[in-house]
Amino acid sequence: MADQKQIAFTIDGRPVTTTAGTLVIEAAKTQGIEVPSFCYYPGLSLQAACRMCLVEVEKMPKLQTACTLVATDGMVVKTSTDQVHKARKDMIEFLLSNHPLDCPVCDKGGECELQDMTFRYGLDKTRFVEEKLHTPEQKWSPLVYYDAPRCILCFRCVRVCDEGMDVKALGVGSRGVLSVILPNKPDELACEECGMCIDICPVGALTSGTYRYQTRPWEMTYVGNPCAHCSNGCKTTLSVRNNEILRANNRDHSGINGEFLCAKGRFGYDFTSNAERIRQPLVRRNGKLEPASWEDALEEVARRLKQAHVGRGPAAIGVIGSNHTTNEENYLLNRFARVTLGTNNLDHHRTADYAGLAAALGSRAKDSLATMADVYNAPAVLLIGNDVTQQNPLVAWQIRTGVRHHGLKLYAINSLPSKIHRQAKIAVEVAKGGEHQALRWLASEHGQFDVKTTEALVQLKAALEAEKDVVVLFGADIQGAAIRDLVSLAARFGGKTKFMALGDYANSRGAADMGILPDRLPGYAHLSDSAERARFGKLWGGEISATPGLTARAMMEAAAAGKLNALYVVGANPLKTFGVAQPDRLAGLELLIVHDMFLTETAQRADVVLPAASTYEKDGSLTNTAGEVQLTHRSIDPQGPRSDFDLLRILSHQLSMLGLGTPIRLRTPEAAFDEIRQNVAGYDLAYANLLAGGSELARATSKAPEAAYDVPVGTIFSSQDYLFTSGTLGRYCSRLTSTNEAKQIPWTSSPSTQSWWQR
Amino acid sequence: MQLPPPLETKFNELAGRYPVKRSALIPMMLYAQDHLGSLGDEILEEIAKRLGLNFIEVEETLAYYSMLRRKPAGRNHIQVCTNISCMLRGGNELYKHVQKRLGIGHKEVSASGTFSLEEVECIGACTGAPAMQVNYDFYEDLDPDKVDAIFEQLQEGKKPKPSAVTAGSLHDRLPAEVPVISKRFGIPNAHKIDVYRKHEGYQALEKALTMTPDQIIDEVKKSNLRGRGGAGFPTGMKWSFVPKDTSKPNNIHANADESEPGTCKDRPLMEMDPHQLIEGMVIAGRAVGSHQGYIYIRGEYRYIIDIMDAAIAEAYARSYLGKNILGSGFDFDLVTHTGAGAYECGEESALMESLEGKRGYPRIRPPFPAVVGLYGCPTVINNAETLNTIPAIILKGGDWYSSLGTPRNGGTRLYSISGHVNRPGIYELPLGFPLRRLIEEVAGGVRGGKKLKAVIPGGSSCPLLSAGEIDIAMDYDSVAKAGSMLGSGGTVVMDEDTCMVDVARRIMHFYAHESCGWCIPCREGTAWLRKMLDRFHEGGGREEDIPLIDELSKNMLGRTFCPLGDAAALPTISIVKKWRNEFEDHLHGKCAYNAAELIAGVH
Ligand SMILES: Cc1cc2nc3c(=O)[nH]c(=O)nc-3n(C[C@H](O)[C@H](O)[C@H](O)COP(=O)(O)O)c2cc1C
Ligand code: SF4
Ligand code: SF4
Ligand code: SF4
Ligand code: SF4
Ligand code: FES
Ligand code: FES
Repeated sequence: MADQKQIAFTIDGRPVTTTAGTLVIEAAKTQGIEVPSFCYYPGLSLQAACRMCLVEVEKMPKLQTACTLVATDGMVVKTSTDQVHKARKDMIEFLLSNHPLDCPVCDKGGECELQDMTFRYGLDKTRFVEEKLHTPEQKWSPLVYYDAPRCILCFRCVRVCDEGMDVKALGVGSRGVLSVILPNKPDELACEECGMCIDICPVGALTSGTYRYQTRPWEMTYVGNPCAHCSNGCKTTLSVRNNEILRANNRDHSGINGEFLCAKGRFGYDFTSNAERIRQPLVRRNGKLEPASWEDALEEVARRLKQAHVGRGPAAIGVIGSNHTTNEENYLLNRFARVTLGTNNLDHHRTADYAGLAAALGSRAKDSLATMADVYNAPAVLLIGNDVTQQNPLVAWQIRTGVRHHGLKLYAINSLPSKIHRQAKIAVEVAKGGEHQALRWLASEHGQFDVKTTEALVQLKAALEAEKDVVVLFGADIQGAAIRDLVSLAARFGGKTKFMALGDYANSRGAADMGILPDRLPGYAHLSDSAERARFGKLWGGEISATPGLTARAMMEAAAAGKLNALYVVGANPLKTFGVAQPDRLAGLELLIVHDMFLTETAQRADVVLPAASTYEKDGSLTNTAGEVQLTHRSIDPQGPRSDFDLLRILSHQLSMLGLGTPIRLRTPEAAFDEIRQNVAGYDLAYANLLAGGSELARATSKAPEAAYDVPVGTIFSSQDYLFTSGTLGRYCSRLTSTNEAKQIPWTSSPSTQSWWQR
Repeated sequence: MQLPPPLETKFNELAGRYPVKRSALIPMMLYAQDHLGSLGDEILEEIAKRLGLNFIEVEETLAYYSMLRRKPAGRNHIQVCTNISCMLRGGNELYKHVQKRLGIGHKEVSASGTFSLEEVECIGACTGAPAMQVNYDFYEDLDPDKVDAIFEQLQEGKKPKPSAVTAGSLHDRLPAEVPVISKRFGIPNAHKIDVYRKHEGYQALEKALTMTPDQIIDEVKKSNLRGRGGAGFPTGMKWSFVPKDTSKPNNIHANADESEPGTCKDRPLMEMDPHQLIEGMVIAGRAVGSHQGYIYIRGEYRYIIDIMDAAIAEAYARSYLGKNILGSGFDFDLVTHTGAGAYECGEESALMESLEGKRGYPRIRPPFPAVVGLYGCPTVINNAETLNTIPAIILKGGDWYSSLGTPRNGGTRLYSISGHVNRPGIYELPLGFPLRRLIEEVAGGVRGGKKLKAVIPGGSSCPLLSAGEIDIAMDYDSVAKAGSMLGSGGTVVMDEDTCMVDVARRIMHFYAHESCGWCIPCREGTAWLRKMLDRFHEGGGREEDIPLIDELSKNMLGRTFCPLGDAAALPTISIVKKWRNEFEDHLHGKCAYNAAELIAGVH
C-alpha cells in the first residue's frame, strides 16, 4: 500500500498538505486549480505525452508535466505564470495545426475537450497555412467509427482498451505526424464493443455508430438511469431529444460503475423504439390477438381473472414476475398475487440464489454483503463459477481495475473459460458443475479430482488461508447447500469476508428481495413466519396463506398438465425460459395474461397482452446483484404502453369492484417505495442519497440463521447471457446484435468458432 | 505456417534468445521479411502465435519501424541516402539519377520486380558520402558512373562488391591522431579473436577479473570518460547509480543504433574490432554485477551484426563469455539485437522498449534505466564507443586515459568528419583537439579551395557553428560554451556554396520523419516546420515565416517528452539566427545553392 506519509508544498502560493506520492495535477484539483490535460486520465497509466499540463517548479530549469510530477516536501509549483500560459497556447496551436475545423458538424461539438481548451487557453488566430493531413473516416464496426484527422493522439482509447478492458483491440499505426489509431482488424474491429474508447476520447475522433450525426449535445436532456440489462446496475446517462433516446453514455461517472459501461449499457437502449414494440393492448378474439382499447382490455383481464378465481380457485392461478420490473412493481405484484388473487404460486426466473445467501448468512448479512466498490477495494477476490467478463461486466471491470491499481489477487474456480482468468493468481478449471465439489474439497479435502486440478486446489487452499478480507463472488450453480458450504469455508479466511451472488438481470436481486418467490415475503421472511405473514397481511388488507406455492418451473409443468387454470405473467417469457419451444406446455391454461413490451413467445400465446413501459420509461427503484438500490426515471414517455405499476394498481381497483381484494391505494412508485422502506427488511435506506442519484446497499437479512434452505434442481439457473445478449430484451436491441462478435458464443471450445479473445 | 528451413532455424534461435519472448518480435519480422520479401498476414499471425501476442501488437510494432514493410520490395531494394552529409556531396543528384535510371520513385517497385527504390535517412556511411544500400550491402563514395556500373551488375543478377567501411573513410594515420580504441584498425583480421589477443586483446578482462567491482568503477571514474552517445554523461558515475542491493538481474546494454546524421564511428569499431566491444561489456558487467549484455545494432547494419555474432561465438568458445569466465566464477552472456529502422530507438529508453519488442516510444523518467530499465531491471546503457574504451582504461589506468584529454573530458574519441572537406573520414583524436585543426589539418581543409560556411560539430542535433566560431577546443565543455554540443562526434562541414535554408529543410525532414509521434510539440512541430521549410525553400516563403520558423522551434524546445524535439529545434534556431540573410535572399528568389530543385525528402 502507498506510503501514508504527509508532505507539504505550495501551488500558486497556496499551501497544500497531501499524501506522499500524490501527483501535482491531482493535488491542484483539490485546490480548485485546473491544470489542463489531454493524455492524463486518472487510473490509467501515465503518459506525459500531450504536454498540456506543463507547470513551473522552482529550482527546476524546465517546465514540468504536472501529470507525472510527484509532489514533494517544500516544492513550489506555479500554474499560472506567463511561461505556463504561453506553453499552453503553443501546445494548442500545435495541436490545431492538423486538426480539421469541422466543429460545426462534429458529434463532439459542445462537449469536446479540445474546443474547451482552445476557448480557455488557446490562440484566437491561426498561423498554420500549410496543407492539413487528410484521411477519410473509417467505420471500425457498426458501433465504433474513427476519424483520424480529429484524433489528437492522447492514447486514452488505446490504454482504456488495453489496461481497462484487457482487450487490447487498439494500437497505434505509423509514427510521427502520420500516427493513427489502428483497430485490430482492418475490416472490422473484433472486440467487446464496449465503447469505452468512444467515451474516453476527448475529441470527436471516436464516435458512436448509434449516435453519430443525429443531433447537437445542447439539444438533448440527460437522465441518469441504472442500465436495463444485466444485474450489475451501472448508471447510464440517457440523452433524450423529442421523446427519443438518442444515446446512452457515461456522462458524469457518478454511478457505482465509475467510468465503466459495457456494450449493453451503452448501445442497448434502442429496444425502446423498436418497431416491434407493442403499443396497444391486444385481446384474443376468435383465436387471434387483436388490438383493443385499454378499457376493454383491462375489463377483460379483470373479468376473466375473477372467473378463474371463482372457477378453480386461487390455487389454480399462477403469477410469474420479472427480472426487469422495479422493486415497487414487484412489491405490488407480491401483494396482488398473495392478497388480491390469494395465491402463493408466485415466482420468477431466479438467476442466483439470493434467498439462499440471505438464509446462509442470517443476521450476518448486515455486514457481509459486498458492494461493487468492495470488489474493487478487496485485497483478494474468490470467484466461483461465472464468466464475469461476459455475464457481469462491471464486476469484471472492478476486478481488473483492482488488480491494476492495488494488486488485488483474484482466485477462481470455474467451469466456464473466462478472460478474467488472465488476471487470476490461481484459476482452477473444473468440469461443468464441478464448482461445488471443489468447494467441498477446499473445506474438507473430500472428493476426487485429476492430478492437475488437485494440485491447483492445494495451491488455492494454501493461498486462501493466507488471505484476509476476501470478497467471494459466486454464480447460479452455487445454490442452497453449496452456499452454506461456501459460507462456512469462508469463515476460515482471515479478516472480514463479504459475499455477492451473481445474477443475470437488472432487477434479479430486487425481485427476490421483494419476495417474488413461492415461499418468501418481501425481505425473505419465510411464509411459516406467522408474525411476518400477519404484518404484511395487515398492510395489504388481506390474509396470506402459510402454504408455499409453486415455483415458476412447477407452474409451467402444472400448466402443461392442466393443473393450472390461469397464469399471470409480468415482464417474463417463461415459455422460452422454462419450456423451450414447446408451446403446448400452455395448452392446459384457460387464461394467460401477459404484460410485456414485445410479442414474446409467451405473449403470442396470451389471451390478453398489456403493453408495458420499459425501465427507461418509468419511475421506481432497481436493486443490483450486490443489493445496491438506485432510482430509475421516466426518461421518455412510453407512448402507449403503461408501467406495470399502473397496470397492477388499476387492475386492483377493477378487481375490487368485482369483489376480489381491496384496491391498491399507493398512487405512485414513491409512495410504494416509502412503504417498502418502512416494511421490508434491509430497505430502510437513505432516500435523499437515492434522489441525488446515489446508491444505497439493501441489507436484506433473515432474523435468525435458518435451517437448510434448498430449492429443487432447475429452479435457479443462469441464462448465460453474454456481452451481446440480454434475455428476451436483448433480441430487440438491434444495434447490439449488429456486430460480428454478437454472433459468437463466448464459451464455445471448438477452434473454428472460438471467441475472438481466446488465443 | 510452414517456414523455409533457414527461417525456422532463425526463429527457434530468436525465440530462445531473450528472457521475455516478445523481444524476438522485431528480429523475427525483419528476418522473415528477408526471406519472404514482405510481411503478409500469414507470417504475422504465425509470429503472433509463436510469441503469444495479439495480432494488433504485432501490427502496431511493425508499423513503427521504417525497414519493415507489408508490401514486397524489389529483389534489389535500392536505398539512397539524401541526409545531410550525403546531400552535401551530391546525394540528391544521385537519388534523381537512380530514379531516372530505374524509372520508379520513392517506395516504388519496378515492373519486373528487380528493383525498388527508397530515399532513406542517414545509413551511417556519412564519411563515404554519397552512399546507398542495396538490400543490406553498402556502396559508398558514389557518383552516377559508379552507380551505373553497380546497376549493370545487378541487372545481370550479379552482386557488386560492397564497399568496405575502410574504403573512403580510413586513411593513413595522421600525426595528430592518438589511437586508443582504433589502434587495431588496419591490422589484418583484427576482428578474429587470435589477432585480437595478439594485440593486447582480453588482457584487460583478465585484469578486471582480479579487481573488485568498486575498483573497476573507480578506475572508470578516474578516467573522466564521458558518454560518446551524445549527452556526454560521466560513465563512471552512471555505473555507480546501479543499486547494489537489488534482487533483480542487471543488464548491460550497448547502444549501437548509430543513426544521428553525420555519425558513423560505431560501425567501423564493430566491423574491425568487435572483440573490443565484447571485452568492454564483460568488464562493465563485472563492475555493476550484471550477467547479461545486449548489443542493440541498427537494422541497416546487418553485416555488422553478423560480424558481432561471429566474434561473440569465438569469445564463448574461448571462455571470454558464458559461465565461469576464465575460471573466475563470473558469468556473462551476450547477444546482439537488431533494430529495424528508427532513429528514436537510439534514445536509451526507447531503445529498451524496442528491445522489448515494442514501438520505440521513450519512457517516463524517473525511474532512470540504472534503477528500472530493460525488463524492469537495473540497466546500464552506454554507447558502443563508450564501452570500447573500457579495456584500455582498465589496462592502462584511469589516470593515463584521463591525461590524454582535457580536465573533466578524459581520453580520445572517434570523429567522423564528412561534408565539404578534402579528406572525409574517421579519426581518433584526443578530447580538446581544436576544431579548426580538425577541419583544416585532419580533414584536409574545405574541398575545392572553397571558403568554410558552417560546421555541425557532433551530429545534426547540434546547433551549427559559423566559420567565425571554429576556434574552439573539441571537448564537451568548450563546445557547450560556444553554444553547441560535442554530441556524437559527427562533424559535418559546409562550404560557402551551401544553401542554409536547404540545410535547415533537410534536417527538419529527418526529425519529422523520425519523430515517434508521442508528444504534441515534436510530432506536430516538426511536421509543420518541415512543410513550412519546404514551401520556403521552393520559393513560397513569406516575410512572416522567418520569425515563425524561429518561434515554432523555440515552442518545441525544452517542452518535448524526449530530447528529439530539442534536436530538431536547436539546429534550426541556430540556422535562422546565423544565416537569416539567406532566408531573406530566398524571399527575393535567390538561393546560395543553385540547384535548388526540391527533393521530397524521406517521407
Ligand atoms: C533521439 C535520440 C537518439 C539517440 N541515438 C543514439 C544512438 O544512436 N547511439 C547512442 O549511443 N546514443 C544515442 N542517443 C543517446 C542515448 O540516449 C544515451 O544517452 C546513450 O546511449 C548513453 O550512452 P553514453 O553515456 O555512453 O553516451 C540518442 C539520444 C536521443 C535523444
Ligand atoms: S469498444 Fe471497447 S473493446 Fe472495443 S476497441 Fe473500444 S474500448 Fe476496446
Ligand atoms: S481516438 Fe480519441 S482517445 Fe484515441 S488517441 Fe485519438 S483522440 Fe485520443
Ligand atoms: S455491466 Fe451490466 S449493468 Fe453495466 S452496462 Fe453492462 S449490462 Fe448494463
Ligand atoms: S520529442 Fe516526443 S514525439 Fe519527438 S521523438 Fe521524443 S517523444 Fe517522440
Ligand atoms: S496531461 Fe500531462 S502531458 Fe498530457
Ligand atoms: S550516410 Fe548519408 S548522411 Fe550519413
